[in-house]
Formats: sequence, C-alpha cells, structure tokens
Amino acid sequence: MPPSKSPVRSLAFRNSILALLITLFIIGSVIYAVNYLDQQRVAQLSALQNQLATDTLSVETQLALLESAPCDDISDTDTLSQEVSTLGGQLSTAESRLGANDAQVIQLKDQYTLLEIRDYLLVKQLETTCHTKPTVALYFYSNVPGSCTDCDRASYALSYLHQANPNLRVYSFDYNLDLGALKTLIAVEKVQPKFPAFVIDGTHTYGFTTIADFETSFPKDFFATSTATSTTATTTKK
Amino acid sequence: MDLTLLAYPFLFLGLYFQVFLLVTFLSTPTRERRERPASIVTPKVAIIVPCWNEQDTIDGTVKSLLALDYPKDKLQIVLVNDGSTDNTQMVMDSYIGNPQITVLHKENGGKHTAINAGIEIAHDAEFVGCLDADSFVAPDALREIVSCFEDPHVAAATPAMSVFEPHTFLERMQHAEYIFGIAARHVLSAVNGIYVTPGPFSFYRMSVIREIGGFRHAHQAEDMEMALRMQRAGYEIENAPRARVYTKVPLTIPKLVKQRTRWTTGFLRNVTIEYRDLVGNPKYGVLGLLVLPLGFVAVIGGVILFVLAIVVVAHDVLKTYFITQGVPLSYTLAPHFSLEGLYLSLSFVTILSFITAIASVAFIIIGKRVSNTPHNLTIGIIGYALVLGFIAPFWLMRSLSDLITGTKRKWR
Repeated sequence: MPPSKSPVRSLAFRNSILALLITLFIIGSVIYAVNYLDQQRVAQLSALQNQLATDTLSVETQLALLESAPCDDISDTDTLSQEVSTLGGQLSTAESRLGANDAQVIQLKDQYTLLEIRDYLLVKQLETTCHTKPTVALYFYSNVPGSCTDCDRASYALSYLHQANPNLRVYSFDYNLDLGALKTLIAVEKVQPKFPAFVIDGTHTYGFTTIADFETSFPKDFFATSTATSTTATTTKK
Repeated sequence: MDLTLLAYPFLFLGLYFQVFLLVTFLSTPTRERRERPASIVTPKVAIIVPCWNEQDTIDGTVKSLLALDYPKDKLQIVLVNDGSTDNTQMVMDSYIGNPQITVLHKENGGKHTAINAGIEIAHDAEFVGCLDADSFVAPDALREIVSCFEDPHVAAATPAMSVFEPHTFLERMQHAEYIFGIAARHVLSAVNGIYVTPGPFSFYRMSVIREIGGFRHAHQAEDMEMALRMQRAGYEIENAPRARVYTKVPLTIPKLVKQRTRWTTGFLRNVTIEYRDLVGNPKYGVLGLLVLPLGFVAVIGGVILFVLAIVVVAHDVLKTYFITQGVPLSYTLAPHFSLEGLYLSLSFVTILSFITAIASVAFIIIGKRVSNTPHNLTIGIIGYALVLGFIAPFWLMRSLSDLITGTKRKWR
C-alpha cells in the first residue's frame, strides 16, 4: 500500500521553513527589545549626566555660600544626598548592563566620583564651620579581577550599616578610576592599594573579615547615637 | 564563560518546535482533521484489554467499553489476563457469557504477548485496538477513531488521552501535561510525525499488523515500537482529537518517576538501537528530521539545563551566604524591590523562556478546546509550568543512566 506522502511532505517542508522564519523573527524581536531597553537606559544616562552636572554645581554653590551664609540656612543637604544615592544605584545598574568598560559608563562614573568628592568636601566644610558631626566612611574598592575578593561583602555590610544608621555617610570609590581628583583624594588620604580600603572618620582600615570586626572601625559612640542627618550611599562596586 | 550560553541552543530548539506546532495547527490539513465528523460506517473492530493485576479498575474499563456508541455485533472485546496474581481473573470471569466479550487467561509473558494473544482471537476484525485496564473511554470515542481510517495509508490512530478524574495536585499537573500531548499529537498527525501509539485506545489496521507482524517486547515500549515499525514501513499514523480516553496516573512522585523512566528509556533504546536509521533521515519527513532528533535533544537538554540551574542556584546561594554573613537576616530577607532590579532581570534568556512557557500554556488550552476534555486546568497548568520541570530531570537522568549502563527495570 504505501507510500503516498507528497501532500504531507510539502506541508511539513513549508511549515518547517515558516516556523524557522518565525522563530528567527521572534528571536530578532527579543534581541531588538533587549537592545531597545538598553538604549532607553543609555538615553536615561544622558539625563543622569545632566543631573550629576546640576548636583555638582549645587554642591559647589553650597560650598561658596558657606563662606557668607549662616549654617542654619545651608546645612540641609538631605535631599541632595538622597539624589546622589539614587544616581549611584542607576549608575550601578548601567555598569552591570553595559559593562564597566563602556565609555559612557566610565564618563558617568568619573562625574559621579567628582560629585561624591565635592559632597565629601562640603560635609567636611560643614563639620568645620557649622560643627555638624556626621560619621563619614570613604570606601575604596577595585574592579580588577582577583584584586578584591571581599569587596562584595564589604559593600553589602556598608549598605546594611547605612540603612541601620542613617547618620552614616558612605562614599564609594573605584580605586583604579583614571580621574585626577580621585588620585588626589587617594594621595591626600594616603590610601594604599589594598582592598577593600576604608577611611572612617580619618582612621584607615584595610580588608574585611566579619561585620562585627568591621564595626570596631567606627567611633565608639557611633552605634549608640545614630540620629538621622543625611546620607550618601553608593554601591557601584561590581 | 557565561554558563547561560549553554541554554541558548535548547531555548532556540524549544521555541522552534513550539512555533512549528503552532504553524501546523493553523494549517488547513490540521483544521480539516479537527472538523472531521465521527464515522457513520461501522466496520468490525476488536478491542483488546491486556491485564496484569488490575482487579480494581478492570471492571470500570470493561463497562466503559460496553457503553461505547457502536453496534454490538461489530464490536468484540477481548480481555486477556496475563497471569495476574490478584483477583483479576475472578472479575474477568464475571463477563463470561456476554456475547461481545471473550475472556482469555494465560501465563504471564509481558504486555506484548497479551496483546498478540488477543489479536489471534480477533482475527476477523478490520481494526484492532488496545485499552489498558486502568483506562476508560467516552461513548463516542470509537466512532471518532474509526473515522481516521478512511485513508488506506493510515495504519494506526491515536486518541485524545487525559487523566481520569484528576483530584490531587500531581494528577492535575499530569492532566495538563496530557492535554498538551493531545494538542501535540493532533498537530503532528497532519505531518505524520507521531512516534507512539499509546496503550489506552490506540487502534491499528489489522491488515498492516498481519503484514509487519505483531507486538514485540521492545524495551517495555511496545506501543512506541509498533508506531515506529509502521512509520518505517511507510504508513501513516492518524489522531482523533475528540476520541477521549481517561487513564489513571501515578499518584506519587516516585511512581511517576518510575513510569516515565520506563517510557523515556524505551524511547531512547528504540531510537538509538533498532530504529536508529529513522533519526535524521529525510525519508521519514518530520518524524525523522524533527520529532525523533528533538526528542533525543529534549532528554539531553533537560538534564543539561537542570544541572546548569543547580550549579547557578548553588553558586548564587553560596555567594549570597558568603556576602551576607554576619548581617541580620531581617535586613537580608527584607524585599529590596526596585525598578532597576526588574530592568536587570529582562534578559534575552528570561524573555525567551517566558515566550516559550506562554506557548506551552497556549497549547494546553488549545488541547482542551480541541478535545473538549472536561476538568479545570488552572492548578494543573501551574504545576506543569512550575513543578514538573523539577521532577522531569530525575527520570531523564535515570533513563540516560539506564541507557548507558544497560540497566533493566521491572514494569512496576
């Protein structure tokens, strides 16, 4: 009796080709959609860039005003610090998605680092002029593979401590970023290339073992008096 | 190396197969099959019920056969007791005297010997069917099946098989899976891609059985072997999407794994040993170029993706434990939802996996609609989508291991 399969064969052939084309179209659409999302993100990065520029100017202005204005009028930096924290999160996402070597990411990171340094200087200036007393932690990490096995843990512990103690200001820096201001900060603060590195209220600490041990790096009265002032939390460690 | 790259080829093939099914479902020949009316002609048919220790279900099975909408003088029922050690013989003997039913007791020799013994008795039937003794048929199922044989090239016809009264989560999950099978078989029949004629209510043209021979042991997959033998002989296997048959399924995970290990090992052994020549052979069309190779890839892919998932999850869990050590759990376990996190999760793999999962669910719904199978599917679909994937790798790994080591397992 058999065979008589030509209609079946032609249907199968036609459908397999059609299915292949549709599958490729779906996959192409998914790739396009993912890329489109990334592009949208990149477009948002431009907004981020503008925001960073504005914030940097704002900090600069506050520093300038500090010379003539009363402390009561100048010391409210909460809103700005919160913005800096949000920007840090967005930048961290961009870095995860586009890669640490992406030109735009590096440029943003440079700007962000500058903003952080200026905010840090403002805080120090406020401390001197207006006698505010926030606890400041400078955190230096490295994205070079294998150079900082404990940086993820350190970042997480700092995020936790920042959340638990709003009085804590954390400034995270990629030690290897090619930025003159950062290199100057590293030189001024005498931070050695051992990671993770911390400068907490002027005291240098290197390495991270346990959170309990890490907490001993903070001033003795820090955990007892965590009244809310302002915060800057950044987690741009990859 | 990014381990998720290993998932790409399997995702592509999985999506391609789903799209192929969907395109074929929408094709005219498949639509014509859906619209094919039940047969009004009533050729002589015989239904063989091979039994081994089925005392609890055989009675219901026979009653459902007797309730079939088919002339009594054209329907012969052959009950074959394959050396049962329980009360199956007694239940069967209660039907002696019914003119439609023939009862045969024989020494235990395996399911294929029981079916062959029944075929010997039903020698004057034009079509012969099998029904496992734990399955029950809808009254119109036989007329639906018989309508498939109008084309003389059709050697066998498969039914729309689903789970008998699914109540537990495991039963509902398998019910959804069986419904997917209904849609898949319906579609594959249009391109002659069916590779198994399941035990519950598949029918065969008697002349073809005489031509190519009866059932064989075939690594405990006699229904698959018969289908492959018919395909090799150049015949076609049809499907009757409204010929509803309900079967009982394993009620525990170990029993499910055991059953599926038997099926999968049977598939692997038949396809890699006796029917190797069909795989990748253009002569056998979709069966040779798509269904059999993808069946094999699905086994390998299922194992690889599972191992991959275990490695990735274990790595993430260990990393999270390492990173969060010392930080209070109240902080670690608190939800840290952010739009940034949502955005990061929208990757190529997750989107494609989502599309493939949606296509599977769509096919389950299609299967239910096409076959008019009763019972709610919501819980079953949830189980099918979220749980079955964690159980299946166990029978896939076990089957691969049995294939490689040559391990033989008992039926039950």
